[in-house]
Amino acid sequence: MKRLMEAGSLLRPISWMPRPLPIRRLFFPNFPRSVKASSKFPGAGYRGPKPKRDWVAEWVSRNDDVVRSLPIYVGGFSLFVVLFNRAASGIAPVADASSSQSRADLLTLGLAVTNVLTGLVWLSIRPKSISLVNPQGVECQKICSDLPDYVVSELLWMWESLSVVTCCRSLVIVYEGSCLLQIGVAAESNGGNTMEVDAPKLIQGLLYQGVVKSGAQSYLANLSLYPGKSELPFLPSNTQAVILQPLGDKGIAIIGGDTIRGFTTADQAWITLIAEKLDATLSRFATNLTVTMQD
Amino acid sequence: MDSLFLNPLIRLSLPPRFRANPVKYSCLYVSFLHPSVFSNNIARRTRRTRRRRNPTISVRLGDTGEPKQQLNLSVLRFTLGIPGFDESYLPRWIGYAFGSLLFLNHFVGSRSYTTAAQFRSEALGVSLAAFSVALPYFGKFLKGATPVDQAALPEGNKQIFIMSESLSDIQKEDLAWATYILLRNTNTMSVLISVGDALCVRGYWGAPEDVSKASELDWFERQIQQIGFSDLRDTLYFPQTSDSAFSEMLPRGTQSLLVQPVLGAPKLGLDDTQEITGGFILLASSMSYAYSDRDRAWIGAISNKFRIMRVNS
Repeated sequence: MKRLMEAGSLLRPISWMPRPLPIRRLFFPNFPRSVKASSKFPGAGYRGPKPKRDWVAEWVSRNDDVVRSLPIYVGGFSLFVVLFNRAASGIAPVADASSSQSRADLLTLGLAVTNVLTGLVWLSIRPKSISLVNPQGVECQKICSDLPDYVVSELLWMWESLSVVTCCRSLVIVYEGSCLLQIGVAAESNGGNTMEVDAPKLIQGLLYQGVVKSGAQSYLANLSLYPGKSELPFLPSNTQAVILQPLGDKGIAIIGGDTIRGFTTADQAWITLIAEKLDATLSRFATNLTVTMQD
Repeated sequence: MDSLFLNPLIRLSLPPRFRANPVKYSCLYVSFLHPSVFSNNIARRTRRTRRRRNPTISVRLGDTGEPKQQLNLSVLRFTLGIPGFDESYLPRWIGYAFGSLLFLNHFVGSRSYTTAAQFRSEALGVSLAAFSVALPYFGKFLKGATPVDQAALPEGNKQIFIMSESLSDIQKEDLAWATYILLRNTNTMSVLISVGDALCVRGYWGAPEDVSKASELDWFERQIQQIGFSDLRDTLYFPQTSDSAFSEMLPRGTQSLLVQPVLGAPKLGLDDTQEITGGFILLASSMSYAYSDRDRAWIGAISNKFRIMRVNS
């Protein structure tokens, strides 16, 4: 079994990044040591147009609730105004299309009702906001020590992307019988240490077998409902959602999130494709290893 | 992964968009003519569903401690059942139709002069029609709104997949994979990745006909030099068509454009096989407002992959 090392002793320490930061701010420079000599003044070379701020979009996204119920108020108010107008002008409130006044009133009523219905539809399709649950455990960053730099950088890039873009808080990668990466929040074992991943036991479990046999991603949107949770003791006990992504037929990536149904379908698609690339990288590393061992 | 090289023509299939189950209540729409009947129908239906356990809103008070209970209005999703017809644009069409009927009524319908009451009524109607026309535009920016219309590929572009010659196999694989994943997972029809000396162009582009295959890469390089994308420091997102400086380079029918610079130093130390590069990723789409916040976050993550490039294979 490969010995896991703390990442700090092999590489520069990886700073723990708070999740809600938008990805642009995270990678703000540190200017690169060797800049391509295309321009001495960074930023001055771009000559194209800059996009204008979209005020409407920003205002609507900030006042989401108000905008959703706005058509209802507008429609309701217009209904009252029409009826009041009829009453105040002394015309009998009959709903026939005989006079042009009645026709105009009917059309306005129709528009008011359209607005009310649209408002109700918008209210009904409001996405439910589910609060996140902070995982209970200890932070850890464990990477297998024998990996070449390109594999390590790919693994760390995967962790950075997942932790910043999605609700992922723990990541475990098991490949060819050993745990390559355990990063994020992990369950606490006695004395404040992180619970290690028992890779052989995991591989023999039903969860791993099922996922690798089907070859498809498995999304456990609400982990508390699944009895298979007992096979993942290294994840924090209050992990809300888990994605089990097979890496070819030799490994698995276990991604734990802090919100029920926190991974969207887009996230699932991205994770599938990134895992395929990781599988290709790891299998190339594995074949290189066997080739060098045979020499 | 071999398929990425052997098969340059990839199917640009867009990920399936989730759409809630529409309930057919087309009679609701006809019943507006009889206001009293309409209100009874609504009241009856909402009372029924409040008693019924509706699986779409499954959170109960006390499970997660949410303070306010959400109104169960999911009964009011309706559709006219015509495939390819987007109901979210219905208020716009109704606004146009009723507005024009109002004008017709005003000029043609009245035999005598229009009373003040009618004038007020018509003014209110026209402003309501204008508001209804604008409603779908506001609805697009609400949380959870997904663009229902699929991106249509405009005419006049051809599918290409070209890459700089002087790259190692690993770099080629990385670029091929990144372009593939961007085309597949976002509403993109054309992608261009320029990192250091490497350039990769994939998707539907409208390079002029007189540019030969061999010099297509040079043509793109010249366009990039002209606009100066390599020196970009901020992400540029043009959600709607811009006239512009780079309409010559972009494929015909581009509606939204995203340019993501590749920036920053990586967290690890570098060794001799790696060098830091600068560059950008350019994505063009035939839909407006094609990239949501999450899409842009993922594209930023992909751009971070190219912060360092391996020079030795």
